[in-house]
Amino acid sequence: MPPFPAKPIAKLTGHTGPVHAVAYSASPHSYILTGAADRAIRLYNPSKAPSSSVAPASSAAYPPGLVNKYNAHGYEVLSIDVNQANDRFVSTGGDKTVFLWDVQTAQTVRRFTGHGGRVNRGVFGGEGDSVIVSASFDGTVRIWDVRSTSYKPIMMFSDAKDSVTDVLVFDGEIVSGSVDGRVRSYDLRTGYCQVDVIGYPVTSLAMSKKGTEVLVSSLDSTVRLMDRTNGQLLKAYRDEAFVNTDLRVRSTLGLNDSVVISGSDDGMVFAWDLLGGTTLHKFRHSQMREVKGKVEKKEKGKKDIVSAVAFCPSRREWASAGGDGNVIVWGMDN
Amino acid sequence: MSYKRPRATSPSGSQKRPRGVGATPSTITLGTELPPDEDGDDGAFVPVWKQTVTDERGRRRLHGAFTGGFSAGYFNTVGSKEGWAPKAFVSSRANRNKDTAQRAEDFMDEEDKAEAAESRELETAQSFATIGRVGDHQNDALFGLFVTEEETMGVKIAQKMGWRRDQGVGRKVRRTARSDDTSGAAAHMFAPNDSRMMSAAREEVNRKGLGYQSEARLGATDEKEPKDRPMLALPFLEDRSKPKVPKKAAPKKSSFGVGILNDTGSDDEDPYELGPKITFNKSLGKDKKPKKPSKFAKTAAAEGIVFKPKKTSGEITGSPRLSHDGKPPLPGFVLATQVIDLTSKKRYPLPKIPPGWKSAKSTAQPADSQSYQSVPDAAKSSTLDAKARASLLGETLLPGKSVFDFIPKDVRDRLATMTGKVNLPQGRGEGAPEGYQDSNSTKPKDLWTFVPILDKSTAAAALAKGATGWMPYAEDPNKRARYVSCLELRAGLRHDLPERAENMSVSEWAKELQEFAHAAEVFKPTTGIMASRFTSSTSTSLPGSGSNTPNENLLSKPTPKPEDPAEQAAKLGMYGPMTRTSFPFHPSRLLCKRFNVKPPAMPPAADADADGAGFKGKTEEAVSKSALDKMMHEVLSKGAPALQRPAWMGAAPQETLSGSPVTAAEPDGGHATVDVEKNDALVQERAPEDLFKAIFGEDDDDE
Repeated sequence: MPPFPAKPIAKLTGHTGPVHAVAYSASPHSYILTGAADRAIRLYNPSKAPSSSVAPASSAAYPPGLVNKYNAHGYEVLSIDVNQANDRFVSTGGDKTVFLWDVQTAQTVRRFTGHGGRVNRGVFGGEGDSVIVSASFDGTVRIWDVRSTSYKPIMMFSDAKDSVTDVLVFDGEIVSGSVDGRVRSYDLRTGYCQVDVIGYPVTSLAMSKKGTEVLVSSLDSTVRLMDRTNGQLLKAYRDEAFVNTDLRVRSTLGLNDSVVISGSDDGMVFAWDLLGGTTLHKFRHSQMREVKGKVEKKEKGKKDIVSAVAFCPSRREWASAGGDGNVIVWGMDN
Repeated sequence: MSYKRPRATSPSGSQKRPRGVGATPSTITLGTELPPDEDGDDGAFVPVWKQTVTDERGRRRLHGAFTGGFSAGYFNTVGSKEGWAPKAFVSSRANRNKDTAQRAEDFMDEEDKAEAAESRELETAQSFATIGRVGDHQNDALFGLFVTEEETMGVKIAQKMGWRRDQGVGRKVRRTARSDDTSGAAAHMFAPNDSRMMSAAREEVNRKGLGYQSEARLGATDEKEPKDRPMLALPFLEDRSKPKVPKKAAPKKSSFGVGILNDTGSDDEDPYELGPKITFNKSLGKDKKPKKPSKFAKTAAAEGIVFKPKKTSGEITGSPRLSHDGKPPLPGFVLATQVIDLTSKKRYPLPKIPPGWKSAKSTAQPADSQSYQSVPDAAKSSTLDAKARASLLGETLLPGKSVFDFIPKDVRDRLATMTGKVNLPQGRGEGAPEGYQDSNSTKPKDLWTFVPILDKSTAAAALAKGATGWMPYAEDPNKRARYVSCLELRAGLRHDLPERAENMSVSEWAKELQEFAHAAEVFKPTTGIMASRFTSSTSTSLPGSGSNTPNENLLSKPTPKPEDPAEQAAKLGMYGPMTRTSFPFHPSRLLCKRFNVKPPAMPPAADADADGAGFKGKTEEAVSKSALDKMMHEVLSKGAPALQRPAWMGAAPQETLSGSPVTAAEPDGGHATVDVEKNDALVQERAPEDLFKAIFGEDDDDE
């Protein structure tokens, strides 16, 4: 069992609202993009933000490690995804619009409108990140063409009966999770959509590297690893202290698909062993420390949530975004 | 208050200027005219603009704006330019207020003080005060006024007149001496016996000031005369035998108030003026007329008003009867012998009406006392009953009937003999009225109590609805007929009991009637606003499914949607084939191009709808695991769904018919909706692309 990065190595401050989205940049994975309820997107260099950094008094000032700010959203930012070339990223939020940003100029390149509700998730897809797939509260998944100047989506999946909370693109498949408790996998090659019933509202999806398993978070305080080939349940990850019944909380796979980490409603971050299903670590985000043993119950504050986690694909490092506006980057001791 | 002197309204002739050139004055004036009096106000003509308005003291009140109107505010108000001179402040620190006791004088104004001083200055001397002091009643002995130690003036005078103590006052009386030996009884002149003073009751004493003279009052003058008399004029001092000398009339004294008879018409005499009070008699030193004739009496005598003062007593025995003032009555008058009671009016008896007189105004016929009959008597003697009276009066008969209308005659007679009353109404022995007669004796009357009460309008409405549209109990014509009859009864179309089915007990029948009433209430057509919100259903309920009553139909809730078995399986953790479904979709070519995948072979756009329907039907039973596996196998192994499609499209219905264990097709059908049908934009978009491909094939390849 490889050691788990359990030491906070950086603290990204500056957001004045709960951070809903956190994403590592592409291939060097040296930057972190965060989007929060304060309608701002910030680009951080976590290596320049020590864990002892404190938020500046003014939100206009640059906290340690902040590289750039991207301000165009009129509502909260709910998701961020960076393309492979590291020159564009997509952000979605409450303003029913998908924003395509240029990283350097900090300007929006495209804005895709058409969703009838807030857009929960927007990811790049296709060859060369030529499309953007967005999942919205209006129950649709829309696929937008980046290359053309068409303002209409290429395709729209409106099969979901409820809000679509997450979507991911893997190879030729588009996988969406919805509040109606179903994970729909649209296989473009075959023209078939496989619907897997989870039974509880799905809040997060994560694909394994092989693409044969998908990690599904649902609002029954359970994270499930589903076999995509036959829809069977491979593993369910639970903990007696793990609470996820109300909020959209992201979960992800890490350490070369060996651990599962997930945020929670009460400000804890849990790490499970993927194969064994046992709880490896528990972290309290606001206190920037790992909780050993039994988790003391805290009264759930409004800000004490961890809504997004992201694992660095290349290093032993991951980030948790909390309701207090801070993003903690956890790493190894060395 | 301002006064404006009356002036001439036009200039007099002397003041007029001669008018005209050649006009010569008609009068010739000699000498120099006197200058007009400066302040003399002779009433001469002064133009209006020269006139001044003065107040009652002659001060000028109105100053014009150009002649000092500014100063008018204070010149005539307080008399100084500074206005009221403020009182200089005197510090009370050094000289404290010393006399704090308040006196009555502090609250008296000038008038009060003058009055007080006046009341003080004329005090009756003590020596004189004992005699005739009004209100001195402590000593009730005769001449109790003499009990004072020092001899008063009255005592001195009396002693000078020969009066001694313990003697009566008055003329000497001849009598025998009152001694023990009455032998030498010789009459001598003796002083009269001392007699007690007649004491007037305290409450009867009118406390009057000195100098007050009561006005004579009508009818009461004579009675009060002795009491009003000053004490000095003691009547018992007078010799009764001595004829009273007529006294000269007392000078007229002013008294409080002025009667209208005293009004002389001159204004210069103010009767209320508080003049020199010395004019009043304040002391008793001088001779005072004991009696004065009252003013009214005098005037009454002068004017001949019949007024006779009452004689107080019959003790005045003089043959020429004198009036109370000792004077004989005026010639032509005689003293009255009895008191005229003015208060008691003479009452005269009513005039006697002559017999046989008849008033012309009386309209009432003279009541014949013999034929008079009181109302109860008339009612008793009447032989008419209520109906006869009603017929006489032309009234319509009331619907209510007496019980005697229904009992036979013999029963009525029996009643009459039992009660002893002979005035009972006639027994008519009528039958029951229509609708109430129990002609068919199989239905007793009390069955009516089972017929439920139903509003007539409700019944009629339910009937009308049944005539035009739907009516319950379609599955049972007999029951419907009974329902209709019940409604007709309550709507007033029939009058007999609702029919009862054979072999139906009364209780069942009653229950059915209640059900009918309830159904009529329920199926009554809606009215008003509610009616406008609903449209009647065009399809009636199927007669075949009539096992459930309409009530149950109404009250039944929509059946809860059966839970998705996939959801149930997911809840149970049975993830796998139970929770997995799949349906085809049509990825757009551009999307496949962007993803760099070969698009699945699309049917032509024209067939899309049909294929979609086929897909839908397929996916609905795609839960069949064998079918799914077979399909997936075919798809995965052969890779070209277009080639396989006809095969499984043909096979699918058979598998459906063969029956799959999982038959949750209908609830899950929603998931199998093919969005291609909905996405018209995509369909429309794709057709031009095919066209583009056909036309611009090279361009497509280049991209």
